[in-house]
Amino acid sequence: MREETDPTYDPGKERSVVIGMGFCANALPGNAAVTDVRDGKIVRIRPLPYDWKYDPEQFNPWEMTARGKSFKPLLKSTLPPYSIGYKKRVYSPNRVRYPLKRVDWDPNGERNPQNRGSSKFERISWDEALDIIVSEIKRVHDTYGPYAILCQGDGHGEDKIVHASHGCNTRLLERMGGYTYQIRNTDSWEGWWWGAKHAWGMEPLGQMSPLNNVMLDMAENTDLILFWGCDPETTPWPWEAQTASRLCYWFSELGIKQTYVCPDANYGTVVHGDQWIPVKPNTDAALQLAIAYQWFKNGTYDKKYLENHAHGVDSFEAYVMGEEDGVPKTPEWASPITGVPTRIIKTLADEWASKRVSIAHSNGGGFIRGPYATEPARLEVLLLAMQGLGKPGVHQVKMFEWGWLGPRLFFDLERTAMPRGLAIPTVGAAYRGFSFLPWNLRFPKQILPKTLVPDAILSPPLKWYSTTMLYMPREDQFKEYVYPVEGCSEIRMVWTDSPSWITCWNCGNRFIEAMRHPSIEFMLAQHPWLENDCLFADIVLPVSTKFELSDIGTGVGSGEYDTIFTEEKCIEPLGESKSDYEIVLMIAERFGLLEEITEGKSVEEWIKYGYDTSGVQDLVSWEELHEKGYFVVPTDEKWKDYPRGLQEFHEDPEGHPLTTPTGKIEFYATGLAENFPDDEERPPVPHYIPHGVSHQESLSHPRAKKYPLLVMSNHPRWSVHSQHEDITWLREIETCKVKGPDGYQYHPLWINAKDAGERGIRKGDIVKLFNDRGGVLCGAYITERIMPGVVGIDHGAKYDPIVPGELDRGGAENTICPSKTTSKNAFGHAVSGFLAQVEKVDLDELHAQYPEAFARPFHPDAGPYIESFLA
Amino acid sequence: MGKVLIIDLAICNGCHNCQVACKDEHVANDWSPIAKPQPDTGQFWNKVINLERGTVPKVQVTYHHSICQHCEDAPCVEACNAHAIYRRPDGIVIIDPEKCRGNQLCLEACPYENVIYFNDDLNIAQKCTFCAHLLDQGWTETRCSDACPTGAFTFGDEDHPQIKEKLAGAELLKPELSTRPRVYYLNLPKKWIAGAVYDSEVDECTQGAVVTATNKETGEKVSTTTDSYGDFWLRDLPDGTYTIRIEKEGYLAQKLGPVDATQKDQNLGDITLWKG
Repeated sequence: MREETDPTYDPGKERSVVIGMGFCANALPGNAAVTDVRDGKIVRIRPLPYDWKYDPEQFNPWEMTARGKSFKPLLKSTLPPYSIGYKKRVYSPNRVRYPLKRVDWDPNGERNPQNRGSSKFERISWDEALDIIVSEIKRVHDTYGPYAILCQGDGHGEDKIVHASHGCNTRLLERMGGYTYQIRNTDSWEGWWWGAKHAWGMEPLGQMSPLNNVMLDMAENTDLILFWGCDPETTPWPWEAQTASRLCYWFSELGIKQTYVCPDANYGTVVHGDQWIPVKPNTDAALQLAIAYQWFKNGTYDKKYLENHAHGVDSFEAYVMGEEDGVPKTPEWASPITGVPTRIIKTLADEWASKRVSIAHSNGGGFIRGPYATEPARLEVLLLAMQGLGKPGVHQVKMFEWGWLGPRLFFDLERTAMPRGLAIPTVGAAYRGFSFLPWNLRFPKQILPKTLVPDAILSPPLKWYSTTMLYMPREDQFKEYVYPVEGCSEIRMVWTDSPSWITCWNCGNRFIEAMRHPSIEFMLAQHPWLENDCLFADIVLPVSTKFELSDIGTGVGSGEYDTIFTEEKCIEPLGESKSDYEIVLMIAERFGLLEEITEGKSVEEWIKYGYDTSGVQDLVSWEELHEKGYFVVPTDEKWKDYPRGLQEFHEDPEGHPLTTPTGKIEFYATGLAENFPDDEERPPVPHYIPHGVSHQESLSHPRAKKYPLLVMSNHPRWSVHSQHEDITWLREIETCKVKGPDGYQYHPLWINAKDAGERGIRKGDIVKLFNDRGGVLCGAYITERIMPGVVGIDHGAKYDPIVPGELDRGGAENTICPSKTTSKNAFGHAVSGFLAQVEKVDLDELHAQYPEAFARPFHPDAGPYIESFLA
Repeated sequence: MGKVLIIDLAICNGCHNCQVACKDEHVANDWSPIAKPQPDTGQFWNKVINLERGTVPKVQVTYHHSICQHCEDAPCVEACNAHAIYRRPDGIVIIDPEKCRGNQLCLEACPYENVIYFNDDLNIAQKCTFCAHLLDQGWTETRCSDACPTGAFTFGDEDHPQIKEKLAGAELLKPELSTRPRVYYLNLPKKWIAGAVYDSEVDECTQGAVVTATNKETGEKVSTTTDSYGDFWLRDLPDGTYTIRIEKEGYLAQKLGPVDATQKDQNLGDITLWKG
């Protein structure tokens, strides 16, 4: 804080601090903001005006022009509402302010693992907490060896660099002989990663790359953008905010038609959509095949392009036309599966063939996160290829994460899509968490995909393919891994700094079963808030929010200008909280390993190191950065000159081959054919797979008699996964929560009037969404924004167990998602497009049936909070 | 110089930044003498209203905004018997939190909805201040306009050339009143009637059909032509009841109605044309 160094500092005067308000964590920060502070309190959080301390000429403002109209970036960041309202998260009644211990967990006696999630917590001192933690680590190491400790140290959270939200614990345990690492998965784009890579390579994500100047090219050349399972008004917000929204308005102004293909009229559809084609969740593959059928039948595709750019088209054509299985994939075939009328499918096929069409995505959505998501992902690539992918106006475009995650670099100018800067600032080298920087990956001997953690605990041993780490190349998907590794113990202790298994992953109820399993002798959580998996921990340590710390950050990928900033401490830590980094240092100190973790550097020195290695250290001096608090990276004057998207591949496929085995777009995936020739769930030619060995989540499966509705779940509009759930100013928004007659704010379930009527459900009724994996209570939000036969729910709601592992009051629908992964050889999660039923509940009856759960206090505006779970 | 706020509903994406930024500014922050703190929840000096329009698959949402109109002839000023409400030289209407006696006459007098709230704890009426405390510190934006990512909120001096240009096409809420508000709107929602025309015999979308809506009261006609999906949208319709006629060569003309577009937009759904 400035007063430490500045004798003239006046605490009563407002001071303004540039701070990152993105929520990706993992050294991938965004959303530059300004915090005004006075008298040791946060006054406000607001957008960063780029021209606050710089003349715009200093960062070379850019302008895109097309069709006689221009697009200029705003001169300020475009924050999402949870960044602006984040003060409520900092001062939340749910903050953990001191160490907590579960009352009936006795490390020297009964551990009562079966009571995790039911029994409450009591305050203990830091000394007592550290004593227990140190003795438990020693005991587990002595009894089972180091690999018995599982680190859940990844996932999303506050953007912190030196204070590293996630995985700092791995640095300590690595030096103590090893640990089992839960791998940072490809969540939100699993279909691209596990599927599309086999069609077109595109390392590391499986999404189109490079993306240079794709926005400019679309503005000039595209006639129609298909937002296929894409919501540009939701998923870009967490770390890149709202420039995507401005672009969509501009595209409308340019006369570019925007069609949304998704089960829900999502937040983009209802403000930007010229057309909504509702499609049943997880049936996109059937729709895509019918489009391909029309094109093959009518010859309305780019044959010449395929001759030079594609491999195995014949096999695909044989499947589409019915030669392979006797079923031609006609629009008539697809219509009852998808719910899209035959005539609409035909018209869409004709329109697409006659126009220049790009497809937009922004991760998440109903398209890419369901069972067998590999198939629609691959099919999309093939359809784009059939219309000349890479030619002017024909792209796959991502509506955010511009500049993120390139084939060789963590941040890559080739992936900017928007006008690029001279460099992308990155402070990842100062990141004190688990480093998944591609040049710095160090896995321990024993790893686990996040999606398989419950299986590892409940039913070992396991075998699977690929590390599942997002940066691994396609070939890694052919490599087998096992758990437990020979000579390594099974898991006996969990140490989590990202306690959100229940609310964000495949079948949270199975994660709950795993956390309550007797083999887990100790579960240690550290988190700023007592939420979700914390409720199942034995010890919970209080973590400071980033406002309570000094750090460094960047605002990357906003689409306007990239920034780097030093984040001054704004307020004193709440209660006895410490940063994740400080917590690990305290434990390390007790093991005599402090120096090993700090590497001899103070926090200030790590901040400086972040700047020194940022890639923009030649563009701004340390003194200037420190004095102004931020730096805006100037636009590259030559930004328009870079080749557009896959232009080079389009023009010269031999000279610019893809990273597939043939260097071409593989309609027949040679890698899959070689390694998994008999995998019916991910065959060499992409198929429509309604159900199979792994999943029975289709309306055509007998399970649908009991569970006749398909659940469509996207990332949440009003939170980032499980973050932000206690911001009262968001919870009072109509689409965020539904207040029940008992005063509890239930999570909304979108249901069409037709389905609601059939079930006697009226607006605001409390309903149960359930299947054979459990149930969650929700508030009925009756809307025309969801197609009949489908219910919509945002994932990530704060878990509030009525019966842990069975019934939840908070609306955490991930608890009842499929437990199996994408398919038998693909290990992403499948969290949208699954079967369920909905029924109205009698709250009085439930209150009587579960008096203890319903008697727990809750905050009327912030939901379950710390008082709910204290003894 | 008078301040004005212009809200363009056509480019409001519903992010609620304005509503949340208003809370961030005014909840738990005391800006006396301009404003005392706003209650944490339930009151909105700048409220976003979610208007869901149409039915599957023709659905839109318009986000409307309720905010104090800062009227030149503000009924609340007249109504307050404690003389607590005043208009500043820049046109901003302020309820003086020190002078307010909690008589609530302003709530009754205000002709606009969701604008003035009563704070029971403080026993005062409260509402939008155009963030006058910030303007007095040199800010040129209100919190809501500063937080708006799309340009849907424009705040500034009424004489500024860019503001004047925008004001030229702007509308007022309840223009029939003589309150002379300082909040202007662009693209206030007008009703639409939509549908999809197809030939059920061959199951094909019917492109190029002419769809005409006739207002039953005024006789005024509006026409459009169906696109390749057979879709038509008759937009910007005055509230009213309409008859619809759909014509295409080779088909029997189809008459529909009366269609009531007084209260809400109408999706007529799939409409079959029969060969003539």
